[in-house]
Amino acid sequence: MAGLELLSDQGYRLDGRKATELRKVQARMGVFAQADGSAYLEQGNTKALAVVYGPHEMRGSRSRTLHDRAVINCQYSMATFSTAERKRRPHGDRKSTEMSLHLKQTFEAAVMTQLYPRSQIDIYVKILQSDGGNYSVCVNAATLAVIDAGIPMRDYVCACTVGFVDETPLADLCYAEESGGVSSLALALLPRGGQIALLQMDARLHQDHLETLIDAAMTACKGVSKVLDEVVRQHLQEVSVLTRE
Amino acid sequence: MIKTERILHLKSCRGRKVRVVREHYVRERVPCFSALCQADCDNDGKVLPGDLTHYVVPDVGVVVDYLEILEFRELQGIVFTQTACQAVQHSKGRRQYNRLRNLLKDPRHDCVLFANEFQEYSYCPREKGESQEKWQTRCVYSAAVWYHNHLAGMMDIVMITEDQDAVAQFSSLSSGVYVVSVQDYLSNFWMELHAAHELYNSISQALEEKESEGTEKEYTEHLPSEILEAGIKSGRYIQGVLNVNKHRAQQEALITTQASSNKNTDLSRDVLVYGGKNRNRAVHGDVVVVELLPKSEWRGKVTSLTERQGDEKTGEDEKSKPMPTGYVVGILQRNWRDYVVTFPPREATQSQSRNSQRILAIPWDPRIPKIRISTQQADALQDHRVVVRIDSWESTSLYPNGHSVRVLGRAGELETEIQTILIENFIHVPPFSEAQLKEMPVNSPEKPWKVHPSQVASRRDLRGTHLVFSIDPRGCEDVDDTLSVRTLDGGKLLELGVHIADVTHFVPEGSLTDLEARSRATTYYLADRRYDMLPAVLSADLCSLLGGVDRYAMSVLWELDAHTLEVTKVWYGRTLIRSSYQLHYELAQALLNREDTEVPELAPLSPEEKDAKLAELTQALEMLTHVARHLRAQRDRGGALELEGVEVRAQLDAEKNITALVPRQPLEVHETVAECMIYANHWVARKIQKTFPHQALLRHHPPPRQEFFSQLVDSAKARGFTINTSSNKALADSLDRAVDPEDPLVNRMLRMMATQAMSQALYFSTGAQSQEQYYHYGLALDHYTHFTSPIRRYADMIVHRLLTAAVDLDKGLSPAVALATNKELEETTQHINNKNRAAQRAQKLSIELFQCLYFKERDPQTDPSCVADAAIYAIRDNGVLVFVPQYGVKGPVYLKNRDGEVVTVGQDGRCEWKTGSVKRYSEHISTTCSSGTSTFTLFDHITVRISVQPSRCHADSLNLEIISNKPHKSAESQQPHSQGRSQLVQEVVRQAEEASQQAQERASRGPRLSKEEREFCQSKTPNLYSLLEEIRELALMDVGAAANVCASKTEIIVRF
Repeated sequence: MAGLELLSDQGYRLDGRKATELRKVQARMGVFAQADGSAYLEQGNTKALAVVYGPHEMRGSRSRTLHDRAVINCQYSMATFSTAERKRRPHGDRKSTEMSLHLKQTFEAAVMTQLYPRSQIDIYVKILQSDGGNYSVCVNAATLAVIDAGIPMRDYVCACTVGFVDETPLADLCYAEESGGVSSLALALLPRGGQIALLQMDARLHQDHLETLIDAAMTACKGVSKVLDEVVRQHLQEVSVLTRE
Repeated sequence: MIKTERILHLKSCRGRKVRVVREHYVRERVPCFSALCQADCDNDGKVLPGDLTHYVVPDVGVVVDYLEILEFRELQGIVFTQTACQAVQHSKGRRQYNRLRNLLKDPRHDCVLFANEFQEYSYCPREKGESQEKWQTRCVYSAAVWYHNHLAGMMDIVMITEDQDAVAQFSSLSSGVYVVSVQDYLSNFWMELHAAHELYNSISQALEEKESEGTEKEYTEHLPSEILEAGIKSGRYIQGVLNVNKHRAQQEALITTQASSNKNTDLSRDVLVYGGKNRNRAVHGDVVVVELLPKSEWRGKVTSLTERQGDEKTGEDEKSKPMPTGYVVGILQRNWRDYVVTFPPREATQSQSRNSQRILAIPWDPRIPKIRISTQQADALQDHRVVVRIDSWESTSLYPNGHSVRVLGRAGELETEIQTILIENFIHVPPFSEAQLKEMPVNSPEKPWKVHPSQVASRRDLRGTHLVFSIDPRGCEDVDDTLSVRTLDGGKLLELGVHIADVTHFVPEGSLTDLEARSRATTYYLADRRYDMLPAVLSADLCSLLGGVDRYAMSVLWELDAHTLEVTKVWYGRTLIRSSYQLHYELAQALLNREDTEVPELAPLSPEEKDAKLAELTQALEMLTHVARHLRAQRDRGGALELEGVEVRAQLDAEKNITALVPRQPLEVHETVAECMIYANHWVARKIQKTFPHQALLRHHPPPRQEFFSQLVDSAKARGFTINTSSNKALADSLDRAVDPEDPLVNRMLRMMATQAMSQALYFSTGAQSQEQYYHYGLALDHYTHFTSPIRRYADMIVHRLLTAAVDLDKGLSPAVALATNKELEETTQHINNKNRAAQRAQKLSIELFQCLYFKERDPQTDPSCVADAAIYAIRDNGVLVFVPQYGVKGPVYLKNRDGEVVTVGQDGRCEWKTGSVKRYSEHISTTCSSGTSTFTLFDHITVRISVQPSRCHADSLNLEIISNKPHKSAESQQPHSQGRSQLVQEVVRQAEEASQQAQERASRGPRLSKEEREFCQSKTPNLYSLLEEIRELALMDVGAAANVCASKTEIIVRF
């Protein structure tokens, strides 16, 4: 009932950010040697690990093979220690299945699958610590992992959640805000062309506000893309230094 | 964007202890809101002035417990820390927190909020093992130090705390930051602010008391809010507002469920809460959660009349049929306010409490339980009325704990009682401050106010082209509406114009005057005085559309077809007008009737000129009347506003006791003016609704609920009339037919009952309601708003701003200031609605007060004016409710007293008390005793004697006693000019003056009162429209004044 005050009169959010500010994003690429590509990404207190295998030939049922492009296979899971209370079932529940599907759709839009007909790309994402915005963190981590695997993409895929409080859009919600009854919207963007890879919203929102909310989400995604770009360049620099030696 | 990250907030959630980690971002640049800032902080909004001697940083404990002291406007330069605000939010709940927020928003208070926990250098993380209080104090101290450094030591910072350890620990640490206790601070810096000192003592005593309380449980504990919410969702509990029955405050309370649950048909009925234990510490007005008792324990409401002292009666009372009964399991929101109390007599004090410092004070409002307060002044304040606040109500205590805030004065004195009424209705009307008056334009003989040339250019100038005139009551000074009418295009078109004072030109949005007007929301009319919404320089001078001077106006001009009177064009906008004639109603009517009269404005002219001008004016008036008649007929056909219209006219016809306010015979010109105003309101409503479909302020009147009409229909049946309540038109028609030729009072009383059944007309924001709910039932219009009286209603000012914005938009300009959003507007309308309700209640109470004061001076046994004719309008188990038309008084008459005796009627109609029994039927009530049976039927006329029942702690009330069952014949003949209410008011004021003049020590009061009177009697009613409204309110308040058994219905007062 008491309801947290998500946005104070002075414009501060619960954790001290202003409405348009993102959480701190930190990432590393190439964290595992065994996989084709991998990345670790922290967005505030939400931490995710993404691993990419492939492209390789179809495994399991061959009937799913597509003759003109690659199949993308995604699996989303949460570590049992990722939430405040221990999670019983790390993957396979409805939420995870839905999230896997969303990831799949997102990356089918971004990865140039037609370059690899009759093959398969596996993307596995695990949330190590969950503090809101799980979907967007997964997308951002998976993007880095795909890049690390050297699979061509149209553009970075950057995702961000935005919420709507007191007629103001809040960028990059944390868990306290997400659970505080905010109508939130998740958006995955290909920033250079401004194409939307996925847009998802479960809450009620007045039609008039949708425009502003999407605009805010796009701005936030572009912010994320800048950070990711930096991470990739940094990583390449490190790798190239290593190979030169 | 520089961001550093510091995590770690440990938090244990409910149920299991859970470790939650939260991020915490701090930054270097946090605005300090000080004028002395050297670092170019981004200070927008309120800024603390730089010329103070020091800034105050209150500690968490001080803000939580002593916020009231910090509310004194004398205390300047207060820096609230975010830490303290959050503590208030967590420990004191939303209400207290909103109070703090309003304080911070209010530009009249010199205080700011500093987000210390988001500032990189003032934030200190909590250390392991550090208690919450210690950490908070440390945070506040480090914020204070930051301020000192940030302002480069140019301002001394005083941190006030109640924690003595903190004083010892921090006071010597750094120069320029002083840590002192609240008491030291007050006595060092604010010696002369005695009110603050008293308040401090009172609060700290109350806090001490709280600690030393016993542990035995008087009440069951409230359930935690999560369980309550879950229970409400599952339907196990019911949520509602507690409404205590005024007449049986100890036992009965009703829970009025909120509209959301009304869809559920079986829950739409109210829930009864019987007895103090079941009520479980809820106070009148709280939002509570109840659980229903099993059906076998349900009980009915008591329907017999009880006298105030008769509360201890139990058991043998007759009950209505059982209704859902429950008990309170939790309280969602306390709605405590300031209460006026009286201390009990001395002997009672000593026997009541173990400790002579603690006193059970009795609130003025009988619905509020006694409040325990600690004070040493109990003896000195005998017979005084005191304002107190409730602090808490623990389950171990039978009564709530509170503390006194200030003393109003001796009970029974006029000033004290008026103040009591204001406080009990939450009306706060301090005199306008200097800063507010400074904003006002000047108009003095030395420096006359002039029309500004830039305004002449931007406004449409009607001075030369239009014949503008005003029609108001005689002697009116604040004219807020004028009219004009002329023919265009060789007689093919008529142009009708309504010109309203342009208040918003003088009061820009967000100015101090605007804020004050918004918080007042309306001008308050009490029986003997008036509290203006705007300063007098505006309301009586610059905004008043006086004759012969240039004034700014907001106008609506319609072009009508001269024959069909169809509207062909409407123009809205700002204008410049000069009213040619300031007419009054009688004069205008006389002109219409072509009687020979003298118009003062034409007196100095030559006869020929005069005739020409007179003909012009008369023609305009006739044209106006013609148009108004047509408009009225149109509305009658279209829907049926007859109900409301007739209401007024009928009330005027028969309402003898307010003849002093209006002529007994309503003139047609009254209606003409009212019709034009309604028309203007209607068209403005259409315009703003069209331009701003989601954020326009309109006024609607929802159709009444059919079950409320049952009393009306039943009563009418007793006289053989049928009332059809299916629609507003049917109701109006059937009321018109229900006329008893021998007794005009019957129709009037039926109309009162109909009015009582009405729901209340309310302001709302169009975004918050669906289109079909815009309908105004009383006026039968699909859109309606208030536009025509911006001088005395804040809603009209909002509408003026909306209209200006709409007109600007049409011109292609974007409005200068952003309009209020739907949510903000909806909040404002709620506020205005509440204030209007409070204003009505205050007015009603003040009238009752004057009635009591009037009868107090007279001996009921000898004075003939205390005996009056009364008509029965309702039957109860042990008596009847009567209406005394002569004084406009309503009240119960008992036919059975507490000794079991009943009233019997003797040979000559005289009544006596004898032992016997009472039997109630639907349309009559009869008493039986040894000498025979006597019957009292609805609408019978009886003779009553009026006396005052004095009350120490509450308001005095009038007592009606039956003397004869025959109509009181002599009343009319003895007093051909029956006592008008305003006469009554004047009489009482005069008496108060005399009494006060006799009292030597209050010699100054006499002239003051009379001055007030002179000031306030100027024109109680600015124009007819408001006049009609007021009469209706008065009439309706009579209805409300009746000893109404259903508590929920007493609040229903219609106001169109």
